[in-house]
Amino acid sequence: MTATKDSSTHTSPRVVIPFYVYAAGCLLISTILLFLSTHAFQQHYFHPRVLAITHLMAIGWGTMMVLGASHQLVPVISEGKLYSEKLAYLSFMLAAVGIPLLAYGFFKFNMGDPAKWGGRLVLLSAFSYLINLGKTISNGESENVHAVFVFTAAAWLFLTVFFGLALVYNFTYPVMPHDSLHYLPLHAHAGVVGWFLLLVMGVGSRLIPMFLISKYNNTRLLWAIYYLINSALISYVIIFYFVDDSRWVVLPGILLLISILLFIRYCFQAFRSRIRNHVDGPMRLSLLSIAMAALPILMLMIIITSILISKGEKANLILAYGFMIFFGWITAIIFGMTFKTLPFIIWNKVYHHRMAQKNTPNPKDMVNSRLFKAMSVTYLIGFALFVLGILVPGLDGVLQIGAGFLLLSTLFYNVNVSLVIFHKLK
Amino acid sequence: MNILTNNEKFCNQSLKQLRNVIDPEIGLNIVDLGLLYELNLEEGKIVCRMTLTSQFCPMGEVILDGVHEALQNTFEGYQVEIELTFEPPWNEERISEHGRHFLRQ
Repeated sequence: MTATKDSSTHTSPRVVIPFYVYAAGCLLISTILLFLSTHAFQQHYFHPRVLAITHLMAIGWGTMMVLGASHQLVPVISEGKLYSEKLAYLSFMLAAVGIPLLAYGFFKFNMGDPAKWGGRLVLLSAFSYLINLGKTISNGESENVHAVFVFTAAAWLFLTVFFGLALVYNFTYPVMPHDSLHYLPLHAHAGVVGWFLLLVMGVGSRLIPMFLISKYNNTRLLWAIYYLINSALISYVIIFYFVDDSRWVVLPGILLLISILLFIRYCFQAFRSRIRNHVDGPMRLSLLSIAMAALPILMLMIIITSILISKGEKANLILAYGFMIFFGWITAIIFGMTFKTLPFIIWNKVYHHRMAQKNTPNPKDMVNSRLFKAMSVTYLIGFALFVLGILVPGLDGVLQIGAGFLLLSTLFYNVNVSLVIFHKLK
Repeated sequence: MNILTNNEKFCNQSLKQLRNVIDPEIGLNIVDLGLLYELNLEEGKIVCRMTLTSQFCPMGEVILDGVHEALQNTFEGYQVEIELTFEPPWNEERISEHGRHFLRQ
């Protein structure tokens, strides 16, 4: 193969950077809202503020960041070019307008026009992303397990948003037999497991060995994980609709637990067979986030056990479960991966043509390591305190201090992201 | 690190320049990393056969451009052709002693 310019898999930073900036801004707004709404986390999880923060975190922070990174990474994984940068812009614009409308609707608990328009725009955004991704993968030279993970995740995202929009409609017109709260677990798990988990595993199984400089690869194991996760989701949908006995939800829970344990094993093997001894801060946080994925699963098992024993749900356990997913696992992996992927994107823009010159800095030199350390420490303290505050009733002060630490870590994150994005040629 | 060549002098001169091309993620130059398979000087043309640490390396294009630039700047007037191959795939055996020492730090 002769390398030519035409074989470029590089997506323009102009496409990717807006997603990163928007996501960082949404995280900041979410943690400010969290700091101002700690009281809501001592009540039921169907609280307007909890719903608004959850959707800002899930779509504004997690999804926008993942969309940005995947527009950059999927062409690399599938060895092709991004099908359409215009579709990527469209996807960004639709979501960028839709997310605040949707969050406002939840915050005010007004499921009228703002929430409906927000949901419609986010749905169109997910649709344009799905088309762009499908075309990119099918036009690429390599069809592999990672690309299949990512495409399936995008399909689950579309289904999640479609179902979410139906739930918004269900508040004003009865389009479903039960109220929207009844369907919330289905909507939430399609998003968390179908979209986030599949995507993180699909992309992570490629990036983690690559960043660790490890030759470890186990396609059979990844296919097993893929089928386990999808079986867990499909069995959950079937049990939800057709099985009257709630004990059966243990089955998808176990399938999910096995898939996460297998993925932890995959990452551990990649870690063990790494060539480079030193593991930098962003990689350490990313690896920690993989272990943190086990926390919500553990909490899920406690919730299921508690439901089976006491025949009633414990709202604080469910709140802690959701918090561990969005502020724990998803935030930790994005914190780590931002400072592995973003410096590369900016470095590529700034230093591409100085590659063969001496004294060209490396991408990792663009990240302020002290700020990164401060962000990681404040984040982990804030996360632990907030979870404690949710689980133990009456710890109002602990919740507030936890939210304060999380806000501080978000500020450190935003400053560091800005330093990377506005990096000038040295 | 074992590089095939049809011209030792040209090869040594090239390697001196190519040591400035650093894999941005690893921080090690591509010569010590063992990415180069062949460096040949043909009539009016330089042919460099090389690989990447991973087929999915997002920095692959940048590294190839760096190699092209380094060779073009050193041997003006020659056409530079870079062949990217994954046969055989790169493995850690190709890393030089200096490279191993760097990665163990």
